[in-house]
Amino acid sequence: MLTKFETKSNRVKGLTFHPKRPWILASLHSGVIQLWDYRMGTLIDRFDEHEGPVRGVHFHNSQPLFVSGGDDYKIKVWNHKTHRCLFTLLGHLDYIRTVQFHHENPWIVSASDDQTIRIWNWQSRTCISVLTGHNHYVMCASFHPKEDLVVSASLDQTVRVWDIGSLKKKTVSPADDLMRFTQMNSDLFGDDRQVKLWRTNETKAWEVDTLRGHMNNVSSVMFHAKQDIIVSNSEDKSIRVWDATKRTGIQTFRREHDRFWILAVHPEINLLAAGHDNGMIVFKLERERPAFALSGNSLFYTKDRFLRYYDCSTQKDSQVIPIRRPGTPSLNQSPRTLSYSPTENAVLICSDLDGGSYELYIIPKESVGRSDVVQDAKRGTGGSAVFIARNRFAVLEKSTSQVLVKNLKNEVVKKSSLPIPTDAIFYAGTGNLLCRSEDKVVIFDLQQRLVLGELQTPFVRYVVWSNDMESVALLSKHTIIIASKKLVLQCTLHETIRVKSGAWDDNGVFIYTTLNHIKYCLPNGDSGIIRTLDVPIYITKVSGNTIFCLDRDGKNRAITINATEYIFKLALLRKKYDHAMGMIKNSQLCGQAMIAYLQQKGFPEVALHFVEDERVRFNLALESGNISVAVASATEINEKEQWYRLGVEALRQGNAGIVEFAYQKTNNYERLSFLYLITGKLDKLSKLMKIAEVKNNVMGQFHNALYLGDVKERVKILENAGHLPLAYITASVHGLKDVAERLATELGENVPSLPEGKTPSLLMPPSPVMCGGDWPLLRVMKGIFEGGLESAARGGAVDEEEEEDAGGDWGDALDMVDVDGMENRDIDAILEEAERGEDENDEEGGWEELEGLDLPPELDTPKASANARSSVFVTPTQGMPVSHIWSQKSSLAAEQAAAGSFDTAMRLLNRQLGIKNFAPLKSMFIDLLNGSHSYLRAFTSSPVVPLSIERGWSESSSPNVRGPPALVYDFSQQEEKLKSGYKATTSGKLTEALRLFLSILHTIPLVVVESRSEVDEVKELVSIAKEYVVGLKMELKRRQKKDDPVRQQELAAYFTHCNLQLPHLRLALLNAMTVCYKAKNLATAYNFAKRLLETNPLESHARAARQIVQAAERNMTDTTELNYDFRNPFVICGSTYVPIYRGQKDVSCPYCTARFVPSQEGNICGVCDLAVIGADASGLVCSPSQVR
Amino acid sequence: MASMGAAPDHLFNLRNQFYLGAYQTAINNSEIPHLSPEDAVERDCLVFRSYIALGSYQLVISEIDESAATPLQAVKLLAMYLSSPANKESTISSLREWLADSTIGNNATLRLVAGIVFMHEEDYSEALKHTHAGGTMDLHALNVQIFIKMHRSDYAEKQLGVMQQYDEDHTLTQLATAWFNLAVGGSKIQEAYLIFQDFCEKYPMTCLILNGKAVCCMQMGNFDEAESLLLEALNKDAKDPETLANLVVCSLHVGKSSSRYLSQLKLSHPEHVLVKRVSSAEDNFERAVQSVA
Repeated sequence: MLTKFETKSNRVKGLTFHPKRPWILASLHSGVIQLWDYRMGTLIDRFDEHEGPVRGVHFHNSQPLFVSGGDDYKIKVWNHKTHRCLFTLLGHLDYIRTVQFHHENPWIVSASDDQTIRIWNWQSRTCISVLTGHNHYVMCASFHPKEDLVVSASLDQTVRVWDIGSLKKKTVSPADDLMRFTQMNSDLFGDDRQVKLWRTNETKAWEVDTLRGHMNNVSSVMFHAKQDIIVSNSEDKSIRVWDATKRTGIQTFRREHDRFWILAVHPEINLLAAGHDNGMIVFKLERERPAFALSGNSLFYTKDRFLRYYDCSTQKDSQVIPIRRPGTPSLNQSPRTLSYSPTENAVLICSDLDGGSYELYIIPKESVGRSDVVQDAKRGTGGSAVFIARNRFAVLEKSTSQVLVKNLKNEVVKKSSLPIPTDAIFYAGTGNLLCRSEDKVVIFDLQQRLVLGELQTPFVRYVVWSNDMESVALLSKHTIIIASKKLVLQCTLHETIRVKSGAWDDNGVFIYTTLNHIKYCLPNGDSGIIRTLDVPIYITKVSGNTIFCLDRDGKNRAITINATEYIFKLALLRKKYDHAMGMIKNSQLCGQAMIAYLQQKGFPEVALHFVEDERVRFNLALESGNISVAVASATEINEKEQWYRLGVEALRQGNAGIVEFAYQKTNNYERLSFLYLITGKLDKLSKLMKIAEVKNNVMGQFHNALYLGDVKERVKILENAGHLPLAYITASVHGLKDVAERLATELGENVPSLPEGKTPSLLMPPSPVMCGGDWPLLRVMKGIFEGGLESAARGGAVDEEEEEDAGGDWGDALDMVDVDGMENRDIDAILEEAERGEDENDEEGGWEELEGLDLPPELDTPKASANARSSVFVTPTQGMPVSHIWSQKSSLAAEQAAAGSFDTAMRLLNRQLGIKNFAPLKSMFIDLLNGSHSYLRAFTSSPVVPLSIERGWSESSSPNVRGPPALVYDFSQQEEKLKSGYKATTSGKLTEALRLFLSILHTIPLVVVESRSEVDEVKELVSIAKEYVVGLKMELKRRQKKDDPVRQQELAAYFTHCNLQLPHLRLALLNAMTVCYKAKNLATAYNFAKRLLETNPLESHARAARQIVQAAERNMTDTTELNYDFRNPFVICGSTYVPIYRGQKDVSCPYCTARFVPSQEGNICGVCDLAVIGADASGLVCSPSQVR
Repeated sequence: MASMGAAPDHLFNLRNQFYLGAYQTAINNSEIPHLSPEDAVERDCLVFRSYIALGSYQLVISEIDESAATPLQAVKLLAMYLSSPANKESTISSLREWLADSTIGNNATLRLVAGIVFMHEEDYSEALKHTHAGGTMDLHALNVQIFIKMHRSDYAEKQLGVMQQYDEDHTLTQLATAWFNLAVGGSKIQEAYLIFQDFCEKYPMTCLILNGKAVCCMQMGNFDEAESLLLEALNKDAKDPETLANLVVCSLHVGKSSSRYLSQLKLSHPEHVLVKRVSSAEDNFERAVQSVA
């Protein structure tokens, strides 16, 4: 039983769930009806109008109504929205036991101790029917959920089924099904402590079975809404769950002191409620969370009795393997957690079966989804089991607080005791475990046996690691704790309603769900709602804007969310201002909440960009020190208050111009004159004096005169104001004799006496260091936002560099002024210190433990085996190196060379291809040898281990069976060379082309191909390369023979008879044509021109050819005799470059098949430079398929 | 022989760093407080062996004085052996002398050094004479390697079995398993790859791990991946002989020029197997030409 909510109150006699909202009504023995929100756990309302116990209560399924019936014989219908009793139905003459709304008609059925059942119409507020017949108290009456029937149970020991069809004026259709009354108060059965199951049809009812077990009166029984079970409760203080088909008891829940009185079931969701002597409980019977494990995009989860697989990228769902169904019928035995090892494709399924057990399944490669055969899983008992490495999993032994590390064969590899009493373990990175106890979690390294981190937490239910394994979220019932991988607390979140699940998004934001919200949590602990939920979901993965989740029915869903808000906040937090700015420009981010957030988080300048209201804008601008925006806003508002505040801020920043402007706007002359004084703007000061004069402001005038050091003016002012003695003194002290005298005469006798023996001097205000303009301005946080936005407004692309600079500025400024930042840093430092302290402590602890042990286990063995080192040991003889195996097995030259048996390789080449000149092959031999081994640094400081690299490796190759050596040359490389050779030829780089074609010829003897068809390709390649080598060599020779035009023509002509690619043939023909034409051999040139025209050449070339054809047709003669007869087929000798016409004798190279005049026999082939001309040879062997 | 201990293993990290070739890290993190005298000696051994691995032989020779414990003296011998090939005869003779001494002859570190030295001498039976009895993970691991070098994977497998029985998850056991898997080849190579992959995930990358992974890739014919791993290793240490040697091999297979890596290797490690192979191959070639002619 999973208790969701519990209340303490007077005895609960009636209960009803609200069909939609998380509310439950409890009617009490005291007469009060309580309305509870069981999700929030709060009392919403209480209705206190009944006198005496209220036994029946029921919500209407659509209207905001409920009905109650009590021992005061009254049925009351209430509106819970208006908190009022709408009306009271009177008629019953004794206690009312139950009341119930009809599911569609405006009817209420009530059962009473007056032996009647009444049906009421709550719209007309009248009793429409009284069902009489029972001859004792009617304990219970309820409508059939579909048919027009009422069933009632009475203390007269009968259950009666009533036809109320006539009320609807309809005939009753025959019913022959197991009646599922949602509620059936069954005191009747209770008396014999049994639950009876009935089946009814139109006319009859049978007792199907009796469920025995309750020790006292059964107070209430009901069918479960979703499962095939019956739930009953009783005055024996127990709730019992029965299997409805097998009719056996499944489970019993007992309470110490409270007798149960009533049961209620939620019509939609999987919730039950039971009322007892001291309150009520809302509970469910079985966990609804599907067990799942995520790895990359692959989600494995259990549903019913199958392991299923869901691919988040394709959103494909498939069944993987069937899993064992729990042997016992008891509840909550379904898989609880799942752990998956991707490399081994193994799944660990843990359940509460047998007090905690696990099953290990290996998912077969070709997933046999259809099969119904349950794989014989490896099993074991243990509190929890998780994979801790690719092929290791840890199983918790709760009783001894140990973990067993097991391999995939389910064998114990290692045992380790845990540092704290642990009741569950979770994965915490390879080889590490997160151990949970009641009040804390620790991360424990199983190999080092060290506690890596420890954190006090509320009872942790789920652990979610971020994708990079750097952060972990620990989910408790109402708390989320985010910590680093060493369990350093980063933030704590409290939720009022239950936290259900969570996952990290790629940016390090934790997305989680509560019962009714999807929310986010930023790394600094800021959280917010993303959206609301109708039903609880379990998040499995977050990928960008998509949340993948499982619902309670085990269905995968992908929910698209609007991530803008948290991404924006994250960008601010991470100081990625460019990103934040981009978001401001592109998305609709605004609203008071966002402004408040920005202001609170110290980003008023960002908030500035969201605000339209001038006053708010002004405030934000002042807060962020953005004077120009503030001025604009102040001008717009134009109120004294704003100008004043602007002046203060401008003064703080030293922006004297703005200060002046602000003072002028508010006509604040005193401040203005002082400002002019300290900024040295004396001209303006005197102007101000004049203004004061005009305004008749004597004090102002005098002040200004004083500031200006203008004695005459002061005297004048004093005189005008009637202060003649003062005027006189001023004048005389400052030596204005004539004025003083004039005043003295005016004063007459009242001339004041001046102090003697003092030298007066004029007090002049010091002149300011900086005159005019602004003072050095205070550095203001002027950031990327302004710069960026303004430049964007100018319509240009944002200059990246500028942006960065601006960002840098901001960063600096922030460091100087941002007090929060300072504090944060301090806290970090403290945390770090604390961490250090902790480490030390740990080590202290560890040290003591070490003292306790005699020896670390590693040191145990050497002592024991020290004596075992005796002469008995016989060194084994050396095995055969792989290269020997290779050279024994192979008859391919390349493989022999790779094995290092150069002599064998050479003999093979000599026999097969008649090769005698090995010099060109030297580097290739060595490369083959070098390429045959890789080097493994094994034990430090010991010699490196060369490892033979084998060809044709596949996953299924069996170990210890040696494949042939991997070769560094392959056929595709040669084809590449051929292509580059063609290209080089086309672009006229003939030497380069020749090098490439020769290289092909030199490499092919050492190339190995697999199939016979490839052998033919290799042979073809040899002949192509040979043709080109001969041709290119002739062409290069021709270019050297500048002084021998005849030979030049001959060579050019022969070149056209090599087997070339069409573009190359064209070039050869063009060449030959030109050479012959120049040498006035028009007939020959004509021949070439004709051939060229047949090849569909470029237009320019074609034109030249046509001209030559025309010229030659006029004069078909040759001036010189060439050794060239194009009508007679011939081949060219590879060494002497003379034609060997058909029928003439020749010899050929056994390898490259180039032809030679007989005199060349016995020489090294001039084309391939490898083989001996005319030597005997068996032919090219380049594939194991030829050998077999 | 499931190890059941609750005491934290203070040298765990240091040992792992050493085995996995993070020598400098091992040296830098060797200041571990509260070590027992035995642990302190083991720590010093690991540090000095790390210096040896980095080629700082003279430092080791001068730092370890006469009064140091036997294991350290043994480490010093190793440094002397590796530092001057010219004087190796005298080093070997003093090694033999020590091994004959019944008081110290059984010391595991001394036997380990003997194993390493005789392996360098390619006198495997002499090496095994001292190491075959095992006793420490190091010795067993060395045995595995000796048997692999002797091409006796059957014996290597037996040694590995001993290690696995003792502690299957020990870093050396894992490493030795990888060596063995590579030596026998076939489908086992994949397992070796996974072992190195595990190391990658668990510990900072080192040239040794990267090379191990690259070797696996090459064995599986995946030369492109091997090349990128090796280039990553080269970034970490431009003079690491195995990285260079494997790069030579890898470049040959991907059809790139290997000469630069080879000359680098020749310059920095003229004694490397590959360098020796190349020069002997050249002689071999000439001789073969003579014999065929």
